[in-house]
Amino acid sequence: MQAVSSASPKMKGREKRAKGEQGYLRRAIGYLGRYKTMTFIAYGALIIATLSQLIVPQLVQAMIDSITQGAVAQQVLSIPSEQGRMFALTQLNTTQDALQNTYNSAPSWILGAVALILLVAVIRGLFAFIQSYAAEWTAQGIAYSMRNDIFIRIQRLSFSYYDRNQTGQLMIRATDDVERVRLFIAQGLLLTFQAFLLLVVTLTILFLTNWRLTLSILPILPFSIILFGIFGKISQPLFRDVQIRLSKLNTVLQENVAGIRVVKAFVRQNHEQKRFDESNQDLYIHWLKIARAFSFLFPMIFFVGQIGQAVILYFSGTQIIDGSLAIGEYQKFNLYLAYVFFPLGQLGLIVSLMAQASASAERIFEIIDTKSEITDKPNAIDLPSIEGNVEFRDVTFRYFSSTAPVLNKVSFTIKTGQTIALLGATGSGKTTIINLIPRFYDASEGAVLIDGHDVRDVKLDSLRSQIGIVLQETNLFSGTIRDNIVFGRPDATDEEVIAAAKASAAHDFILDFPNGYETSVGERGATLSGGQKQRLAIARALLLNPKLLILDDSTSAVDFTTERKIQAALDNLMQGRTSFVIAQRISTARNADVIIVLDKGAMVAMGTHAELIENSPIYAEIFASQLVDDSQPVAEAQ
Amino acid sequence: MMDFQRRALDQETRKAKNVAVTLRRFAGYFRPYWLNLVGVVVFTLVVVYCNILYPALIGQAADCYLISTPTTQMGGSGVATTSCWYTDIAQLTSNESKISGLLGLALLIAGTFVVSALFTGFSFYTMRLAGQGVLRDMRGHVFNHMHNLSIGYYSRNEAGEIMSRVTNDMDTLQQMFNFALLNVFQGLMIIFWIAVAMLRENLVYGLLSLAIAPVMLFTTRYFSNQARKAFRIARQEIGNVNADLQESIAGAREVQAFNREEESIAQFQKANEANRAANVRAAVFTSALNPVLEALSYVALGTVVVVGGFSALNNQPLLAGTSVISVGTIFAFLAYIQRINQPISQIAVLWTNVQSGIAGGERIFILMDEDIEIHDRDNAKPMPQIIGKVEFKDVEAEYVKGEKVLKGINFGVNTGEMVAIVGPTGAGKTTIINMIPRFYDVTDGQVLIDGLDVRDVTQDSLRKQIGMVLQDTFLFSDSVMENIRYGRLDASDDEVIAAAKMVAAHDFIERLPDGYMTVLGERGSGLSQGQRQLIAIARVALMNPNILILDEATSSVDTRTERVIQAAFEKLLQGRTSFVIAHRLSTIRNANLVLMVADGQIIERGTHQELLAKGGAYYDLYMSQFKAEEDVA
Repeated sequence: MQAVSSASPKMKGREKRAKGEQGYLRRAIGYLGRYKTMTFIAYGALIIATLSQLIVPQLVQAMIDSITQGAVAQQVLSIPSEQGRMFALTQLNTTQDALQNTYNSAPSWILGAVALILLVAVIRGLFAFIQSYAAEWTAQGIAYSMRNDIFIRIQRLSFSYYDRNQTGQLMIRATDDVERVRLFIAQGLLLTFQAFLLLVVTLTILFLTNWRLTLSILPILPFSIILFGIFGKISQPLFRDVQIRLSKLNTVLQENVAGIRVVKAFVRQNHEQKRFDESNQDLYIHWLKIARAFSFLFPMIFFVGQIGQAVILYFSGTQIIDGSLAIGEYQKFNLYLAYVFFPLGQLGLIVSLMAQASASAERIFEIIDTKSEITDKPNAIDLPSIEGNVEFRDVTFRYFSSTAPVLNKVSFTIKTGQTIALLGATGSGKTTIINLIPRFYDASEGAVLIDGHDVRDVKLDSLRSQIGIVLQETNLFSGTIRDNIVFGRPDATDEEVIAAAKASAAHDFILDFPNGYETSVGERGATLSGGQKQRLAIARALLLNPKLLILDDSTSAVDFTTERKIQAALDNLMQGRTSFVIAQRISTARNADVIIVLDKGAMVAMGTHAELIENSPIYAEIFASQLVDDSQPVAEAQ
Repeated sequence: MMDFQRRALDQETRKAKNVAVTLRRFAGYFRPYWLNLVGVVVFTLVVVYCNILYPALIGQAADCYLISTPTTQMGGSGVATTSCWYTDIAQLTSNESKISGLLGLALLIAGTFVVSALFTGFSFYTMRLAGQGVLRDMRGHVFNHMHNLSIGYYSRNEAGEIMSRVTNDMDTLQQMFNFALLNVFQGLMIIFWIAVAMLRENLVYGLLSLAIAPVMLFTTRYFSNQARKAFRIARQEIGNVNADLQESIAGAREVQAFNREEESIAQFQKANEANRAANVRAAVFTSALNPVLEALSYVALGTVVVVGGFSALNNQPLLAGTSVISVGTIFAFLAYIQRINQPISQIAVLWTNVQSGIAGGERIFILMDEDIEIHDRDNAKPMPQIIGKVEFKDVEAEYVKGEKVLKGINFGVNTGEMVAIVGPTGAGKTTIINMIPRFYDVTDGQVLIDGLDVRDVTQDSLRKQIGMVLQDTFLFSDSVMENIRYGRLDASDDEVIAAAKMVAAHDFIERLPDGYMTVLGERGSGLSQGQRQLIAIARVALMNPNILILDEATSSVDTRTERVIQAAFEKLLQGRTSFVIAHRLSTIRNANLVLMVADGQIIERGTHQELLAKGGAYYDLYMSQFKAEEDVA
């Protein structure tokens, strides 16, 4: 411990990081604990399959020996001259009867050896299958569990997490990264185990068979390991380089497909073609680098394994010729030799699988380990039925990383049934205020109270189920239109759904779809326009029949008529409820019971339209500037 | 190998419809690299020869040096049973001479390894040299062609689909040219050569030993096909998993707002489980393939041993009239048969890769063959400096044959005038403005600029003089400076800054982390919608065109920015002929001519005041937009 702490901080950081990555991979492997039986089967089968593979050389030797002995016996026995035959017998140190015996039993020896090898083949095949299948089964199981864990975590993360992370990034972790870990568990881990087993057992066998021959090939081992090290070092950055070039090329491509109008409008084909050709050539050059490295590195690795065979041929040949080695034993040795080089050949694959899996595991656990900042307190109570009184008490909010508050000491009290319009420029804190009420964020200082209850003291479910929310951007989920409307209240009856849809001016356009309320929407269904989505969102909120309503009324691209319909739907929605509205329209501001004017996170004015237009210069300015386009035609009509 | 097999099987295999034509076109691309291909064939032949030589030489080691001992010294009939051709056995009288002979043979074998390794390297490198060159050329051609395709093509086809041509299909080609083609070729050569060697050495023995090969081939095909079917289902299921993920990440706020976490998790687990089940099912076949092949190879091994062994024991040929099988031949056959397994299973798997490659190539060629709908006419001349008079004469247009999107559009604008086009979504507003820079061609009638039909001038010269600000502002992932300079590539930095100042974008750009040098993210992310729009406007200001086309954005931007944009627009419009798809009343009121479009036709025209007075469709539109405010007032 002392030694570690005295190391330079940079060193320590690196150590910690390396150790951390290993730790993540170990944790990923720990998921195997959830599938103990299958894991046990996979590794048990692997041991049996590997060991039975190691019996094969013995059996091949038996076959070869029985053939050779039989053939020699046959040849000697068929020597026509008695003298020659006797000479051969003394040479072989055997008698004619023994030789005749060998010859007679040779066919049954051969058949027996073949039968045995076929039996082993079947056993090995069976266990190899079991091993491979069980490994894939557990790996798929781990991928399944990890994806579930990620998904569950994602569902419960606070809004600020989503502010910081992009959808695409999160997607990649749940797909690509999980896939890499799966690949390692299904193959890399098993290969490592198998390689180790093969290497140890084979080298032992080789040593026991003929230690002198074994020593002659041992120098190749460290040599090939060094070669793999070099190979890994060279290849990894090459692939990363190609990846970078490829994504650059794809960016140009993507931009030209998505921005084709701009390219055409500005007549920039030649310019773009030049950009593309440059990236294309760059990619080509980097691919050639890989081609150069890989075209020769792979054969080289192969060569190292092969050269061992030539070495063994010479050394064992010498022993055979001077009679200290049977030819079958040489064959056997040669076969075992292949088992020494086979795991070495896998080393490169194992190392690259492991490196990728470690990095991926780290990214996966980063999500799984993220603490949701918003959780129920241990003694949280159910929020009683909301009446609609809302109080902000000196609320300050800052994102955890930034010190500048987004909201600074905001205090106000709202009574049941009031409509509150929030006004201010982008970044003034309007959205933060509405996000604090259903506790999507927690206040950094101060408190948000609903009917006197601090929102942090009640259960999230009981709080949010009583608040209706229409967000600025509406996401639809896969399923039917009806599914999307009953999103917050799956038990709603058809009558209630239709009533909600009618009140939000959505009923008519829904019926225009061939399947009406049963029309599929979302990622895998029909596309709805921005205005249609918004009206569904209103229907969704309306169906909850909440006492407290939160609206972001900025309408997206819709035509005039639709906009009017949405406005009417919103007016319907707000009646008789405490409503917080981010106001974009003059009518919203004018109709509000209370207008809260925000500027750079601070509440600068509060009151009715009539009061504020008299007393608040900022309100007057916002009124004049932000809503000016809307107010002109009114003046004109008058 | 395992991983590669799985990946190969996991690929969608679409069969090419016209293999011959596709192959011919590949051949065209390979023509500049023909020397490489010759090299590949020569190098591969050397490699295969070395591969074949090795077992033969090992057999010779046994026949000449190792097991010839007892018989050769006897003289007599023993010599007839050996098939040693490597050296003259009679010369090998002492152990020393045998050992030195063996050393020579071992060195020769090592030599074949060296040659084999080197030439494998050469063959792969020359192949990749050619393959990468072809891929580069094809990518360039596709990209070039993409620019020739009309806007119509892009509205008919999804961007993702087009992208996938150039990424996924190129990727399958990449695998094919890098790896599969050469391996299949080499594998076929090895199988062929081994088969020939075995058959030549002993026809009957060879045939019997090879009998298992077709069985292996069919087995592989069967398991591959089954696995592929299972993977196809798995791919659909993972699609569902991804869609669920995508939805709930993008919609996480709503899920939480409506307390739907539990349901959402349950739904996800269902999709996740289905994906796992499909993958595990595929694992049955992928896991079985290699063990079954291996078991079959032992059957082949057994056949070699039993057939050869009995023939050697009985000193009888397999068929009357053929030669007796020597022990050396058996050893050689054992080595041969062990060498033939690997290429067989490799070919079986890689063959599908070659098939997908051909199909991918076909799809790329289809894209390349896509008709260029808008050509420059043969006698097209450059558009002279535009003055600004624009006229639509009985213009009709259709995207799909028989479905008119514009019907009898007639109007004229004088230099410097502004046309506001209003109407509901899908009325044809965008189509009208797209006809001016000739993004679409009329099916009937004419679009005239300064009296010239836009089809009679070159597209480049026409579009260079028309400025467009589109609704979906598109920025490149480059610096702000370069994004503005896109309007006129030869503009100096000062000119770029002047343009930004003119449209009041200068201030916010200065406040960006690196000012004008700030590099924007994908599609200009990091900027607000309004800021992106200001950059797009600056781009057009730099271009300084005489005709201007604006599609007013309707999406919500901060109202202050909105005003800035509005002011920038007004500045830009001054003195230019302009066409505006209008969403703002102020724009409409300033227009010299308002066209009310519905259903592909101009239903009302005039100034704002005239149209209001008319009390028709425009009046209704106007009233519906502002009725709410009137009620309040």
